Amino acid sequence: MNDYPPVVAKIAKDYLERVKAQLRLVPARERDEFLREIESHLYEAYRNTPIDDDVARILAVLRNFGEPAEVVAGRLPGTMMRSGAKRNLPLYVVGGIFIALFGIPLGFGGLSVLVGLLLALAGMVAAFYATAGSILLAGAMFTLLGLSRILLPGLFDRLVELGFIQMGGPVAEFLDHFSPSDQGVFMLLFACVLVAFGLGMLWLGRYIFRGPRFLSGLLFDWIRRLAHTVRRKLGRENREAPPRVGQVSFANGK
Amino acid sequence: MEYPEDGRDRRIAQLRRGVLELAVMGVLYHGRHYGYSLIRVLSERGSISLKEGTIYPILARLDRDGLVGSEWVESAQGPPRKYYTLTSSGRQLFDELSQELDSLVSLVQQNWKTQEQSESAGKKLVVRKG
Repeated sequence: MNDYPPVVAKIAKDYLERVKAQLRLVPARERDEFLREIESHLYEAYRNTPIDDDVARILAVLRNFGEPAEVVAGRLPGTMMRSGAKRNLPLYVVGGIFIALFGIPLGFGGLSVLVGLLLALAGMVAAFYATAGSILLAGAMFTLLGLSRILLPGLFDRLVELGFIQMGGPVAEFLDHFSPSDQGVFMLLFACVLVAFGLGMLWLGRYIFRGPRFLSGLLFDWIRRLAHTVRRKLGRENREAPPRVGQVSFANGK
Repeated sequence: MEYPEDGRDRRIAQLRRGVLELAVMGVLYHGRHYGYSLIRVLSERGSISLKEGTIYPILARLDRDGLVGSEWVESAQGPPRKYYTLTSSGRQLFDELSQELDSLVSLVQQNWKTQEQSESAGKKLVVRKG
């Protein structure tokens, strides 16, 4: 087919093998035709290159022809050529399927659990503060009742008659043993207890709020560290990836 | 004014890539060629330096789009050659693209400086008149 000297034939064959290796995902018929065309070109170019030394001649031909990456670039789908580096497409496809089947649902599940936990924590905090607020409000109401019982006992009785103040059961029976001013003092004491309890809850809330904040901070920190580890591993994988397509050392002539 | 060297090279490469396909069609417009002869014509007439291997992806694209036809012909010296010819749709497209290129080239080559001067001169006259 051609009359290359043995060493030149070896160099040309090696180059074609390199191109072939880059085209392994191209259909066989198309690939073989492309290689035949390159083979034909190399022979024509070799014949017409006026250099005496055979090896220098074929190397000049290959240099003029270009790196295999440049030659095959137009023959491969765009997604497979990224900065001249060819990726292992089947592995990516399998990886994509696995992520779609397992990773995404698990990811959504994990995200849902995380959101649920944060919402539950936020709900607990809100409920705690609502309770503290209610107790403080009750304390304020009892203060008003106590003061009105001491200062305006007639008004208090009138409000009981009208049904605005409803008091019954053992508490009413207990208070009936005392004079209106004493009843007022009891109410004020109870109001003080309620206010103290409410304020105590607010004071404790400062610490309780730190708990969920600490937990959410811990969760976000864990997610950030996980993302950092994954990114670092991916970066390392890219650095250890096979050499760029077409890094042919013509000087070696292998 | 200084400009980055790689930026210049990248822009030249972009410009060439766009025009090279048209140049290949232009050569095939006037006769059939195989890859190596096509490159020789481009290099000799166009005096452009290009990596010879880059022509084959272009030919493959043109072939895929039905703009060129190809056939293998046995050669007396060495392996068979794959000859390319421009199809009728390729010819039609080449005519249209050539016109487009002409208008772009004329746009680039217009003597903007002269036009600018005449415009500013006109403005001065208007000012004097006012």
